[in-house]
Amino acid sequence: MDLRLDAGLRTRVLRVRALGRERMRPLGLEADRLGRPIPADHPFFAELVRLGLGRTRWSGEDAAEPGGFGARAVVVLAEEMAYWDRGVAVAFPGPGLGEAPLLSLGTAEQRERFLGPFRTPDRPRWGALAMTEPGAGSDVAGIRTAAHREAGGWVLSGAKSFAANASRADWIVVFATVDPGLGRDGHRAFVVERGAPGLGDFHVEHKMGLKAYESTSFTLRDCCVPDANLLGGESAYDRRAGFKGAMRSFNATRPAIAAMAVGMGRAALDESHAFARANGLLGRPRIRDRLANVRRRLRAARLLCWRAAQLADERRPNALEASMAKAVAPAAAFDAAMLGMEILGEVGGRGDSLVEKLFRDAKAMDIVEGTGQIQRIVMARQLVDLPRDREG
Amino acid sequence: MPDFTLSPDLVLLQETVRSFAAQELRPRERAAEAARGIDGGVASACETIGLARLELPESLGGAGLGALAGAIVREELGAGDAGAALALDPLGPVLYALRDFGGEDALRAFALPVLEAAGARAILVFDAMPRIHTEGRRAHGTLPWVPADRADLLVVLERERAYVLRDSIACEPVRGTGLRAAGASALRIEGSPVLAEWVSTPCARRTLAHARLHAAALLVGVMRQAAEFSRRYARDRVAFGRPIAHHQALAFLITDMAAAVDAARLLVWEAAWRLDSGLAADEACASAFVECAEASMFVAPNALQILGGHGFMQDHPVEKYLRDARALGLLLGGIDAARDDAERDLLGIAGPVDLGGDDPQGELHAASS
Ligand SMILES: Cc1cc2nc3c(=O)[nH]c(=O)nc-3n(C[C@H](O)[C@H](O)[C@H](O)COP(=O)(O)OP(=O)(O)OC[C@H]3O[C@@H](n4cnc5c(N)ncnc54)[C@H](O)[C@@H]3O)c2cc1C
Repeated sequence: MDLRLDAGLRTRVLRVRALGRERMRPLGLEADRLGRPIPADHPFFAELVRLGLGRTRWSGEDAAEPGGFGARAVVVLAEEMAYWDRGVAVAFPGPGLGEAPLLSLGTAEQRERFLGPFRTPDRPRWGALAMTEPGAGSDVAGIRTAAHREAGGWVLSGAKSFAANASRADWIVVFATVDPGLGRDGHRAFVVERGAPGLGDFHVEHKMGLKAYESTSFTLRDCCVPDANLLGGESAYDRRAGFKGAMRSFNATRPAIAAMAVGMGRAALDESHAFARANGLLGRPRIRDRLANVRRRLRAARLLCWRAAQLADERRPNALEASMAKAVAPAAAFDAAMLGMEILGEVGGRGDSLVEKLFRDAKAMDIVEGTGQIQRIVMARQLVDLPRDREG
Repeated sequence: MPDFTLSPDLVLLQETVRSFAAQELRPRERAAEAARGIDGGVASACETIGLARLELPESLGGAGLGALAGAIVREELGAGDAGAALALDPLGPVLYALRDFGGEDALRAFALPVLEAAGARAILVFDAMPRIHTEGRRAHGTLPWVPADRADLLVVLERERAYVLRDSIACEPVRGTGLRAAGASALRIEGSPVLAEWVSTPCARRTLAHARLHAAALLVGVMRQAAEFSRRYARDRVAFGRPIAHHQALAFLITDMAAAVDAARLLVWEAAWRLDSGLAADEACASAFVECAEASMFVAPNALQILGGHGFMQDHPVEKYLRDARALGLLLGGIDAARDDAERDLLGIAGPVDLGGDDPQGELHAASS
């Protein structure tokens, strides 16, 4: 057992730290003040691309497994990014949440066509993923966006909710169903490209926090998608296990999302600790005790993230551990921010401090990528064979 | 890269102690509790594994293992029978006090005789109050409960000093809430000669850190076993047409108990790794103790609750896990004393708060600020 970071990762953390302090945090505060996402043509994004960021982790090899960063490095860096600003981190150009299904489901041709432009992007480019609908979030099997086959392609109709970066994306991985009665077996994943006829009504939601990136709802009205954009092609869906196996890779992102929560909680802890010191509150044992509780819980959450990531790096099953990290970290982060508000008191109530922003930002972490309740369902399947309500 | 993998030696040790606990301790846990002690067969089986000398320096015939090894062994023993774990470890955390304050000479003078006398027990008390007073070279006072039926050596630890007592200590048996396999007594110290005394705040902190980790690791074992027992029970027990574990209120409780056990263990491991690596560890050990004591107060009562009325009956072990966990959390000044230490650490931090794992405080933050 050795919990040290190696030299390479350490250097990368320091680089993120510099970028975070100098650019991400100020931009996040500004977006929060203005109450709108950072525009896609903001020079910061072009600067990131020049720095070599905003790329796919796909190496270009014809391998389903992504190369590059290991899960632990991703987790450590995700925590650091979110420490400075989680909203800005999600706004970063790149294939985003759409990358995982492209890597696990996509054919070689599809990976090349959709991830290729992200290898050395000429300009800021985004990808997106749209699963959630007005009528179905946690209950993924209940999505209603319909996919009908027609000559040479597919026609999609339905509505999607809250998809990050969707209105600025080159493409959106859209999940639809060929038959709602089939649950997950009826699902198909399509890459819907910007400008596809019938893709529209983009509505950038007004959120409580995380304002720096857009969460966008949109509709698909008889939106035509060519055959070649069905992820993995028809054959991927013949064997149910194939599709489900691919979807399981979603679990790899849970430790990273959990780590982001740890980063946000750490920011709240540092801010409120500094505030307490500057305002003579650190002399009060009750204040220190509550801060120490937050610190301890965040530390435990960080260790849970690292452990889940190590299992992923070792290609060992981690459904239980990944969900455990995701169930624990957001609550610890939110409590850190709630305590921060209490320590700031009326200064927090003014609504213009970083702690107050973190309080509004952090709540989302228990909702995105599977709510805390859904994480517990996943854990209970492992621990007590909790049956699925519906074959999904 | 952060790596939780245990070395092959530690895995072997873990497996050995796990099967010892399953075969020797758990089946006898009720008998040991009733007898206020472990039977000779178990003690000699334990002797062969060498559990009593794990952390003793090699120069004194010990295995010279570190805090992580100790934590792993104690989790396994705690999962077998925490009371027996104390009874089988005659030195217990006294080892740390003698080693940290007095070095090998002190170990030779005071620890080895305890190890050599059959059934002897050395007791460490953290006496911040204090309840024991020294006058001249003699100590007086009473301790309401220690988990032992005899005290062949008593080391009293204060915030700045430690001292050793051996004679004129009267043990008066009490029932004890838990850990009864180790015994339970009130101690009356009547003019006991102070055989050795050391003054050193850093040594006191270090001893306390090690001692807290000792209790914390036992707590991890107790709560792991409580969580595991109730998890299995909940899968089998049927109510309203399905296993009770499939009612979501219980399913989620069981997941949260599992998470509490794992989080507590990781904090213990991290603190042990810090001790073994020579990193600052006082706060980490105090926090690990707080986490273990508090998490065990969540896990153990709920384990009993999951068994319903059956949990309250002594035919099942969960009520014992609850009593043992409650008792362990009272040691060394209990949760509040540990919280004091965890909380006071924040006074000394000027910049970002170190969350542990790596040592970003020293290196990463220094490099960027
Ligand atoms: C900031 C933000 C960004 C997002 N980004 C994206 C994105 O990029 N792409 C995307 O597709 N989606 C995105 N989402 C949507 C997100 O994934 C969903 O909001 C989430 O999955 C929950 O779904 P829901 O909102 O429909 O809530 P519901 O599913 O309606 O859940 C409501 C409540 O019921 C609970 N619940 C549901 N089922 C059960 C059960 N079986 N047992 C117990 N409790 C249950 C839930 O935990 C929750 O508390 C985003 C959401 C937010 C807030």
